This record gives sequence, C-alpha cells and structure tokens, in this order.
Amino acid sequence: MKYIINREQLLVPLQQIVSVIEKRQTMPILSNVLMVFRENTLVMTGTDLEVQIVTEIAIENTTFAEITLPARKFLDICRLLPTGADIKLEVADDKVKVLSGRSRFILSTLPAENYPEFSETELDHRFTINAGLFKKALEKTVFCMASQDVRYYLNGLLLNISNSRIKLVASDGHRLSVFEDNLANPAGYEARIILPRKGVMELVRLLDDPQIQLAIEFSSNNIRVTINNTIFSAKLVDAKYPDFNRVFHQDFLTPIHIQRQLLKDALTRVAILSNEKYKGVTFDLSSDSLKISAHNPEHEEAEEEIVTDYVGEPLSIAFNVQYVLDAISNIDSEISELTIASNSSCCIIDEPETRSYRFIVMPMRL
Amino acid sequence: MEAARKIIHIDMDAFFAAVEQRDFPQYRNKPLIVGGLPGSRGVVSTCSYEARQYGIHSAMPSTTAHRLCPHAIFVKPRFEAYREASNSIRKIFADYTDLFEPLSLDEAYLDVSQCNRCKGSATLIAKDIKEKIKQQTGLTASAGVSYNKFLAKIASDLDKPDGLYLITPDNGPGFIETLPIGKFHGIGKATEKRMHDLGIFTGADLKTMPLASLQDYFGKAGLHYYHICRGIDNRPVNHQRITKSIGVEVTFQEDLDNRETLLIQLQNLLNKALGKAKEKKLAAYTLTIKIKYSDFVQITRSRTLSKAITENLNALPLLDDLLKTAPTERRKVRLLGVALSSLASPSCNRQIDLFEQFQ
Repeated sequence: MKYIINREQLLVPLQQIVSVIEKRQTMPILSNVLMVFRENTLVMTGTDLEVQIVTEIAIENTTFAEITLPARKFLDICRLLPTGADIKLEVADDKVKVLSGRSRFILSTLPAENYPEFSETELDHRFTINAGLFKKALEKTVFCMASQDVRYYLNGLLLNISNSRIKLVASDGHRLSVFEDNLANPAGYEARIILPRKGVMELVRLLDDPQIQLAIEFSSNNIRVTINNTIFSAKLVDAKYPDFNRVFHQDFLTPIHIQRQLLKDALTRVAILSNEKYKGVTFDLSSDSLKISAHNPEHEEAEEEIVTDYVGEPLSIAFNVQYVLDAISNIDSEISELTIASNSSCCIIDEPETRSYRFIVMPMRL
Repeated sequence: MEAARKIIHIDMDAFFAAVEQRDFPQYRNKPLIVGGLPGSRGVVSTCSYEARQYGIHSAMPSTTAHRLCPHAIFVKPRFEAYREASNSIRKIFADYTDLFEPLSLDEAYLDVSQCNRCKGSATLIAKDIKEKIKQQTGLTASAGVSYNKFLAKIASDLDKPDGLYLITPDNGPGFIETLPIGKFHGIGKATEKRMHDLGIFTGADLKTMPLASLQDYFGKAGLHYYHICRGIDNRPVNHQRITKSIGVEVTFQEDLDNRETLLIQLQNLLNKALGKAKEKKLAAYTLTIKIKYSDFVQITRSRTLSKAITENLNALPLLDDLLKTAPTERRKVRLLGVALSSLASPSCNRQIDLFEQFQ
C-alpha cells in the first residue's frame, strides 16, 4: 500500500503529537504515532496515556490501513526534507518505506492493533468558548502552577464553571493566579475540575487560532477539547482543589499604582544582587515612596526608589523578586496596581480597572 | 613556608563490641559479634578481636560469621550505650581543641596545631587522649598522628589495637610509596580493581601517573588521588560537619513483591528520615528511594522538589511516582531505602506558603 502526503500538511500535526509523547516510555509502542488511513483522511494519534492528541488531515483517495511509526524519527525526517516536498509511504510487513525526492528511509513499525486505547468515561458536561479568550485565560494562570509538588493537585489548573462564569486558578503555594470571565453561552451548571500540568501546557500550544470556537467536554475523570480537526484529551487530577478564597477576604491597605515598566525595570536591576537561591527583595513603603532593596551573602547591596501614590503608615515586606516579576510581566495595562494586606500577609497585583485576572504573591519572612 | 599541621585520627578499637565486653563481663575474652543475629539477614556491625581471629569482619552477613565461628556470641546493638560512650570521648577531645570532626560514633579527626598542651607535641597529646579515654570509659582507642587527615587515618590503623603511630613530614612520602593501593582511604574494592587493571599496585605506581590520565580514568577523584600519593591532603578538619544526606533503609526478613506493601514500607522509611531531619533542624528538597532486588541489583530513583519535604505533606503520590519508574513487576525486593538530601536550614527559606497561611 502506498500513500502520498505533502510535508506541509504533516509537519504541524506531527509536532503536536510528538510533544505529547514522553521521551522515556514504559511501553515501546507509546513512542510511536498511530496513523490510520481511511477514505480521504489520515488520522494520527499520540499519547502518554495521560494526555492524547488525535488529529485528522485530508489526503486523496486511500485504502484503509493502520500503522504505527517511531514518532520522533518520522518527525525529524519530515522536518529536514525540503519545504513543499511530497512524502510517499510504502507499507510492507513490519517495515515502512519513507520516500521523498531522492531520499529513502526504512522505518520499523509495531502492530497498530497493539496501540493502547485511551480510556474515557462518558463526557457529561459541555461548554463552548472562544479560543482566543481561553488561551488568554490559560496564559494568565499557567505560570503559577506548581511542578512536581507533593501536593499533586497543585501540579494542575483549577477550571471552575459556574453557569455563565468561567474561572481558572493556578498556584504553587508561593503565588496564585485567578482568571475570571463571562461565557457567551451559559453552561447551565456548576463544576470544578483540575487539569493536569502537562495537559495544560500541551493545550496552550494547540490554541494558535484565536478566532475559532472550542467545544470543551468533560466528566469527573476526563476532559476533551475539540479544536478544528484536532481532539485533545486528558485525564483529570483526582483531587479537591484547596480553598484559596480566604486570601481575598481580609483587610487591605490602599492600593499603590506604579508604571508597570518602571517597576519591572527597577525589580530586574535589584534582582541582580539578591540571594541567588531565595531571590528575596525588600519593599519599604512610606508616603509617596517605595524603596526596593536586596543584598546577597557576599554583602553586596542594591537599592531603587520609586515615587508612588501610597498613603499610610510606613511598612516593610519582602518577596521573591521572580514571583513579583512574573506577575508584573503578565499585566497588560500600563499601570500596575499593588494591594498589600494590612497584616502584610500577601500582595495582590493586578490592573487598576478591568478585573479579569489577579495575581497574589505571598511574602517572605523578613 | 607554612608550618605543617598536626592532625590526630582517633579510632576506637572494636567499639560496639568493646562496650558490650565492658558492660557484660561474661562476654570478655570471647568471640563476640554485635549486629544482626544469625539466621536473620543482618550483617556484622562490629566484632571483638577474639572473633576476628576466625576471619570475621564487619559488614559480613551474620550467617556467614556463624558458620566461621559457631560458638561466637551474637548480640543486638545497644546504640544508647554507644552514644553515651561516644559523648564522653568527644568531651575529652574538646579539652584539647575546638577543631575536631567526628566521622561516626567511634572515630574523629582532631587538628591540634594550635594546642599548647604537652609542650605542643601531637604525639604526647594523642597519648594523653588515649589515657583519658581509657580512664573515663574503660575502652581503648588507636591514634594516628600526622600532618594531614589522609595520613593520620592510615596511621591509626597501623598499630591497632591500643596503638599510636606517627607519620612525620619527612617519612610521609616514602611511607606512601610502599603502601598497597587498597589501603588508601577512599579507594574501595571497585577502584582498587580498576587501579590494578591499570598496573597501579602501590603509592609509588600511582605517583607515576600523570594528572591528566588520572582525571580521565577517575574523573573528579583523579585530582585527589594525584595529591594523596604525594602526601598532599589539604582538607581541613571541620568541626561543624555538614550533613549532606539523611538516609534510612531496611532489609526485609523475606523478599517483598507486593507493590502496596513496598509503598507502605517506603512511607514508613520516609517518616523515619523526616524525623531525623527534624531533629537536626534541616529541611530537605531531594527525595531518593533505593531498591535492592533479590539478585542484589540495586537502583535508586530521586526527585528534587521546589518545596521542602515535610511531615505535613502527603508524600504518597510522590513515592508512588518514584516507585513507578522502578521495575517492580515479577521482581522481588530485598531492601528498601529512603534518603533525603539537598538539605538546608529551614530558616534560610523564609517564603510563606498560601495554603499553610490561610488554612
């Protein structure tokens, strides 16, 4: 059996699939991409059994066949062939010939019938959302997700649907990010699920067209997102996300407003002389002025002073400078607003007006 | 030129066994083995000199020891008693210098370069210390005196038991040249074999090797070997010995193959390790599990976290994850271990956690 596919059709879907495939596999077949040829379509699948991507591309009149190919090697071959090249696959027994121009490769295959099924329970919840909005929601939150935290539910993203409201929350305990917006089409239910970190990172990559509508379906175990001809599936984190709302329900001082870029530049400079491991910087607030300072074990010191609109008692609070910088960098407005809890227990960083996202940075003990 | 340092290495003679023989007269002058009991999977921790005549040595399986000397007395260790004796010895060291570095309960390095007692003679100080140890604990020690740690340690081994041996800066290099490579501290069985394969049998042979080839063959350790065969060892005596890792392990009476049981055992070991870390007021960021299979093949798997591993955290998913990456199907497990490393004093990391603060 012979199939001809254009390199440009194959490249992006194959890259998305390879991204899901783990480098080290417990089952050899999981290093392979499953390719199912049907009439006029080729369906490709890649999975690590936690996350799966299935994508369909149109090809001309084909006979049915199912094969699996070493995904990374196949991608590398396609990637390095010239732009616009036609790639011919010839299937024979346990080998597949890949031919293009004067290039010839023979790849090993594993029987497609051994490719594992991605188990899913019935997806009984559904909502639709604009891809651009969903991507923004993810980008404003994912950077706060924990990685490899023993509190495994923090290595993920909370998705909370409350009829016409969508809320995404991520936190590694040191900082927290909340994104909230309205759904154009009310979902008609209330649900909370936790998406696994790896799945979230892959999903962000798939949302490159901001115009389209996404159909998102989920159960208590699985989520499936349909993006044009691509279906993303992931197993959910089986846990309850911890309550974080109390951080907002406390007394706060009057907010301080600072030019975002000015604050970012000052923090970046001060960071140079902060402790390399703990990255602590001290904020000394007094009326009209914010002094940011740092010192390191070599007794070197940095200090920056910024004029602010703060009114109130003088106050000192310390933060990991990287956490503040991450938050500031994710603000879209020119002015950033910093609101510190009156007992210095946390700082909220957000935009002065629109409140679709807010970042919390927890302090360090002085 | 800088004056040579004066380093003493004190090594208690058959320490655990000697404490037992001191406390229980019926064990005296008899082959005594402290460690696992024969029939169990334990090993010899320490044995008396009477037992050593039968070829018994530490780390030997107790069952083998029993075969070599069927009338030997086997006792389980009493760590409390050893710790108490060890504390008395350390108090004696402190009378001579602040610069002493305990290596274990029964062994320590002392830097007596600045000590003015005994007219500043390191040999006389070592003799003095040995006498005080004998008076106050009823135990004997062997001392090695030299101008660095490497030679002091070798010296303490040369006149055991109840010995005192001096290696001076003048006779140090000559001494090292005749020393068999396996006697070098830090060269174990595996390295010894590799050295033999390279035609290196003595210190003199080692000295002929250029630095570059030693580094090629032995990596980082190459430089250390290059130096020690020339009698150069500038490692200071650290009074504040930094704990680098905290580990606990268990050998099972019978090999395990049930994954759930392995997980429970790992959890128990982790709790023990965390208890030790807490005692030392240290926070750990890296968790390592060690598995020794019934065929003695041993693997380790580790993970470093951004947050300290404490008792408050549910570590089960983490252990489960680590265990997943180790083959356990159709393989029996003989030994499990858990080690905590990347240790830091918790006060250094002052980051406040949201979920701990608001719950």
